[in-house]
Amino acid sequence: MLKHFHLTKNQWLGILKWSLYGLLTLLTLLLQTVVLSRTTQLRIKPTPLPVLIVCVCVREGPERGGIYAIVTALLWCFSGADYGNLSVAILPVGAILSAVLCRAVLTLRFLPTALCAFGVCLLNASIIFVFKLILPPTVALDNYWRILLPGVALSMAFLPIQYPLVKCISRIGVRDAL
Amino acid sequence: MKKHFSAKAKWLIAIAVLLAVLVTVAAALNAARPGESLIQTMLTPFRSAASGLVRQAERYYDYIFKYESLEAENKALKDRIVEMEEDVRSADSLQRENERLHRLLGLMEEHEDYKPPVPAYIISWVDSSWKSAFTIAKGTNAGVHEGLVAITEYGQVVGLVTEAGPNWATVTTVLDSALGISATVASTGYNGVVEGALATGSQGLLRMNYLPTDSVLRNNDQVLTTGSTVYPRGLIIGYITDADFDQTGVAKYALLRPAAELDELEQVFIITEYDNQ
Repeated sequence: MLKHFHLTKNQWLGILKWSLYGLLTLLTLLLQTVVLSRTTQLRIKPTPLPVLIVCVCVREGPERGGIYAIVTALLWCFSGADYGNLSVAILPVGAILSAVLCRAVLTLRFLPTALCAFGVCLLNASIIFVFKLILPPTVALDNYWRILLPGVALSMAFLPIQYPLVKCISRIGVRDAL
Repeated sequence: MKKHFSAKAKWLIAIAVLLAVLVTVAAALNAARPGESLIQTMLTPFRSAASGLVRQAERYYDYIFKYESLEAENKALKDRIVEMEEDVRSADSLQRENERLHRLLGLMEEHEDYKPPVPAYIISWVDSSWKSAFTIAKGTNAGVHEGLVAITEYGQVVGLVTEAGPNWATVTTVLDSALGISATVASTGYNGVVEGALATGSQGLLRMNYLPTDSVLRNNDQVLTTGSTVYPRGLIIGYITDADFDQTGVAKYALLRPAAELDELEQVFIITEYDNQ
């Protein structure tokens, strides 16, 4: 019966790769909610998870990366994210479009990824902000410049750490496949 | 571009949008709870471990870098205690101040009516800049459920339990604009409603609304809970830092500094039962 569960080397490497992505996602979520979200005075809370989602999606392509983006966005939503239901749509759509854009027009390098990650983070935060402007308890408009933009910029500061890690993980199994 | 935008990618986009709609509908119908509870329950051990590591790291950091500042703070606090003791001695001529002090001193007596509060460590904070809430590592298994008040060991209001699972609960803090607490200025007896002041652009402060236009408010006046079905009477909410007329001009508002130092919080205490007489 165990014969049916026999996995090839490439399949093992695939499991290892996605386990490492899972571990990186969990660590990022913990960093975001346990350490970075503590501050209440400045109220600027960086969210490196959307940056990671775009990074993985760009490296893995719109199909496999898209599935990862959906699962991670759902995880974030159910872990108690504010307006997480919006992020369930915005992050995967943004990440998939980023992956397509990088493959078709740009390159799979750091700067195009950074550009896409910034765009997706800004879009996600801005759409949530619009809802915050409309639905009570509402927030003041000037918070967009004072809190939202610095928050997105701070989130991007994690890209130089996340990008090389994602790049290393995405290479697992590639040489063997060739 | 079309070559890279496969049918599968289009399907994934459609699925993501559909899932978002489903999650929104489920949340509106209060049916998303099982999913959220499952994820929160699964994440709680990881968050507890991570916050434990962070606490340990902070202790080492404080030990190495903050010893001198702690010593200075200790001296300042001792001076303040002496000052306050002098105030207590000279206060008996003023009835209002007497009442305030009575409330202060009576706080501990009131606490005798409480069932022993449930202590809980904070394991994570909500990662939105528009919300002030945190997760604690105690839930319905420990008797913590929605609508209970979280305080510090000094009887300062921290917030309200707004969600609870088996081994976790979310506490929305007083800084969040979603909470409204019926409050009174201890020294004068003016009543109002305290809310988080983020909506008005004052970060880290509270706003006490609906105060009478002729009210006389002084800096550092203590603001306490008036007592309701949710909040026990006499808990310290904050101290007045500023006051002005509101936009309508028919009422005054005061800005308060929260009594609980939310940035420094490690542990909170949940009042599970109290006598509201």
